[in-house]
Amino acid sequence: MADVYDVDGSIGEEVTDTRTTRRELLRRGAVGSIVVVYGGATAKSAVGGAPRFRNRELKETLRIIQWSHFVPAYDKWFDNVYVKRWGAANDTEVIVDHINVNDIPARAAAEVAAQSGHDIFFFLSPPAAYEDQVIDHKEIVQAVTRKRGKMGELAFRSTYNPRTKKYFAFSDNYVPDPANYRADLWGEVGIKPTSWDNVLRAAPKLKAMGNPIGIGMSNELDSNMAMMALMMCFGGFIQNDKNRVVLNSKGTREALKFAKALFEQGMSNEIFAWTPASNNQAMVAGRLSFAMNAISITRTAELVNPDLANKIELLPIPSGPNGRIGLEHVMGCYVIWKFAKNKRLAKKFLVDLETKYIGAFENSKFYNFPSWPNSVPNINRRLERDPVAKPAAKYKVLGEIASKYTKNVGYPGTSNAGIDEMFSKFLIPQMFAEVAQGKRTPDDAARTYDRQIREIFQKWRDLGKV
Amino acid sequence: MPQRRRRNLLEERRFLAPALIAPAVIFVGLLVGAPLILSVYLSLTNATAGSLTGDFVGFDNYASQWSDPNFRTAFRNTIAFTLLANAIVVLGASVLAHFLVREFRGKWLMRFLVLLPWAAPVALSTIGFLWIFDSLFSVVNWTLKELSLVDQFNPPQWLGEPNKALAAITTVHAWRLLPFATVIMIAGLASIPKEVDDAAKVDGATGLKKLWFVTLPLQLPIATIAVLFGIVFTATDMAVVYILTRGGPFNSTQMLPMWAFQTGIQGGSLGEGAAVALFLLPVLAIVTVLMLLFARRVEVT
Amino acid sequence: MPLRRRDNLLTWLVVGPFAIVLAFPFYWMLQTSLKSELDLYNTENNPFAFGEGSPTLDNYRFLFGETQYGHWLLNTVLVGLVVVAITLAVSLPAGYALARLSGRWGQTLGVGLFLVYLVPPTLLFLPLSRVVAEVGLQDRLAALILVYPGFTIPFATWLLMGFFKSIPRELEDAALVDGASRLRTLFWIVFPISLPGILTVVIFTFSLCMNEFIYAIAFITSSDSKVVSTGIYTELIRGDVFYWGALMAATLIPAIPLALLYNTFLDRFIAGFTGGAFR
Repeated sequence: MADVYDVDGSIGEEVTDTRTTRRELLRRGAVGSIVVVYGGATAKSAVGGAPRFRNRELKETLRIIQWSHFVPAYDKWFDNVYVKRWGAANDTEVIVDHINVNDIPARAAAEVAAQSGHDIFFFLSPPAAYEDQVIDHKEIVQAVTRKRGKMGELAFRSTYNPRTKKYFAFSDNYVPDPANYRADLWGEVGIKPTSWDNVLRAAPKLKAMGNPIGIGMSNELDSNMAMMALMMCFGGFIQNDKNRVVLNSKGTREALKFAKALFEQGMSNEIFAWTPASNNQAMVAGRLSFAMNAISITRTAELVNPDLANKIELLPIPSGPNGRIGLEHVMGCYVIWKFAKNKRLAKKFLVDLETKYIGAFENSKFYNFPSWPNSVPNINRRLERDPVAKPAAKYKVLGEIASKYTKNVGYPGTSNAGIDEMFSKFLIPQMFAEVAQGKRTPDDAARTYDRQIREIFQKWRDLGKV
Repeated sequence: MPQRRRRNLLEERRFLAPALIAPAVIFVGLLVGAPLILSVYLSLTNATAGSLTGDFVGFDNYASQWSDPNFRTAFRNTIAFTLLANAIVVLGASVLAHFLVREFRGKWLMRFLVLLPWAAPVALSTIGFLWIFDSLFSVVNWTLKELSLVDQFNPPQWLGEPNKALAAITTVHAWRLLPFATVIMIAGLASIPKEVDDAAKVDGATGLKKLWFVTLPLQLPIATIAVLFGIVFTATDMAVVYILTRGGPFNSTQMLPMWAFQTGIQGGSLGEGAAVALFLLPVLAIVTVLMLLFARRVEVT
Repeated sequence: MPLRRRDNLLTWLVVGPFAIVLAFPFYWMLQTSLKSELDLYNTENNPFAFGEGSPTLDNYRFLFGETQYGHWLLNTVLVGLVVVAITLAVSLPAGYALARLSGRWGQTLGVGLFLVYLVPPTLLFLPLSRVVAEVGLQDRLAALILVYPGFTIPFATWLLMGFFKSIPRELEDAALVDGASRLRTLFWIVFPISLPGILTVVIFTFSLCMNEFIYAIAFITSSDSKVVSTGIYTELIRGDVFYWGALMAATLIPAIPLALLYNTFLDRFIAGFTGGAFR
């Protein structure tokens, strides 16, 4: 190919029409063919997409938005089987949209600002801040209670506001938060992580083996839950049962000291940078010896690395001086906006969903536990019969964790707007991170963050919500 | 004859100019001006959780935010990131543009590689960086470990230690803006009339002398514009921090748009969030006006 | 010719590192997208080499088969093109007017238009959600088409204003003397010459649209109406599981053709500047 350069390559060179040389043609051809190839590749899924036609005109429409469940099979079942069946039985077209869990607050705010959107909106934590924008879900609660008995303590304290006496959300499910540990590695050390003391004892040995403990102290969900639960095991609580802030306590200070020791002896720097996926990835890659996470770790391992999955076992959260207290990992809370177009059907949908929860429980691979315990009968027997798990009864402990060791965020008080804001600002993991990295002493940290949280609470108290 | 008169009307500068500008002004006025006014109103109320109304609280939101250390970190960071990233960008873009206007072998390929960061949507390319800086699978750390430059067990956490996180975020901002600034600079260089070029050659100015006395001054106005856009895009950007660190570790990498989002949307305190978002406005406005005046001043006609 | 070879070498020494740093993440995305899960999530493996199961097209198959990715790509392109059209239609006259027809107040207005960019969209999206809902466009692509020109028009007007200023008046004056009306001059003389400027606006506007994601998240949730940025977030990041291979593939696919396109147009655009009609 002939060179098309001029004699000197200086700036401001005159460009003439002989630019259309073979080179240019080749380039144009390349661009064109790429367009054709892409067009062809995308045409299939572009022309496809969700068919919007219906077999016959359904009378009503119900619009739901919820998160993309980490178990894709659940979404497939929910969208294509469950709502279709329900819709047919109720003469309604049910449209389900999905959203990334992190984008939920933005979309919720947008729908409120627009005063228009979906009938049923899903949050992955109790949406106390939105209390004024939603209906009172009392009817739904009562309807399910009539059929299935009382809702669990956890769900009650997470969706009821004692000050305004309003149910600001309807929780259909929650996810227990077990301790995941590598039975083989802990076996070598000869300890079981049944208490936090044990964990601290085993930590240096495990770290030396190249398999550190993995409990996050980062601005993300897993860290939030783990640190709050750890604190409670040591007697540190954010609020008391009257929803008054009591963070600055001996229990909190003890927990901070413990966490610092655990970090120094058994963890590595990475925990300060974690996203919710990080502990999953680290454990499935074989690195971590211990993590606090829902069963997304084990379920992922079963798909990607079955040999490893067999070595991971589950236990309730280790016990501390104040006992064994754990939190839910996430909690599904549906709300019906005040401006929802179809409130009657929305309420019926939620009642029907919770009343027969077996399908959801099984299709989520035991991720979703029903907020009304009686909605899934014989839950322990089902847990024992998991087709994939080795040992087969691995998930049985979830039943125990769910009924005995799972409390709401803000225990012993309720999940109110102050807790909600503190939670979304990740103040607790930050507090622990600062102490672990030596930036603050435990006393200073407890005091400072207590003050910050008090200010937040005061603001919501003034607004009449706490 | 009405025909004649109508044509004359359109000839009138006074009529034609506003007629041509009106659509733009209307569009922008409705889509930006009105929401802006609403945001100002919101910042003076205690609105929460997406509701567009609230009780009037005066400047309380501004005051309480100003005394919040997280806000101050966010403010400081916004200024620091913006200046640092744009300094890198303007230097890099000037150099790069200077060479990219020449002809050389492989120019098309090089330009293609340089344009890539700009062609990818920021939300997606930042996820790419999330993977590059991942706490466990970071390719940067793997390479450093292979070269035995870092501790095998405790490699640097690019997103988890405050200083490194700041560096990471600045890098991503600069990386993203460099192609954009380069293109603007190339346009500036290419628009230098040939007469000037020839005159310089006649005067005997070549190489470095030409660069300093001819090219750079002529480039100044457009370089200023490039810097201005760079500053604005960095200071008002939320995507990079949102995806990489969410303001962590312990709020050390907060930037104002991210903090506004976290306070107003995720935390539910809409009034306060609006106040935070608006804090930057006067600062940027002043910077903008100053830079535009400067650009006009140094314009060599 | 040793002089030119030295020039080339110098250019390569300078441009090379830049190109490497700027393009490396994309190489990395390509590499990751071709790996199997087993290979990818194993810390023992050399990430630069292919382990067991790699290289594989599984991620791409997943992307196009299991998600609505192709649909999102088309949506993104559609939104981009329509917004470009609207922007051009509004900014060309506005830019011209500001460059030629207005005096002092034109300058002020120009600056005013620019100040629009200083407001972060992080909170603007709330009032705009209300507007979008009132007009009945919630969850429709038309919502984005309506809102995006709000931030593309100022930029485009700016660019064109500067561009028109650099076109010598003689051309228009000549046409006016010949008896053409101002409007005619505008359409038949000025606009055709400003093709490079128009091309620039097209590139920049399209780029601005593709990069936007907060409005897209707030306004649209139905899966077939999503654009690439939001669709990715919904389908490929599920709770605490990231589908890294597919994510990397998803970023690569729009970036490469766009960069190719930009590169091609850039030649034209520069050619316009240096070889235009007014030499």
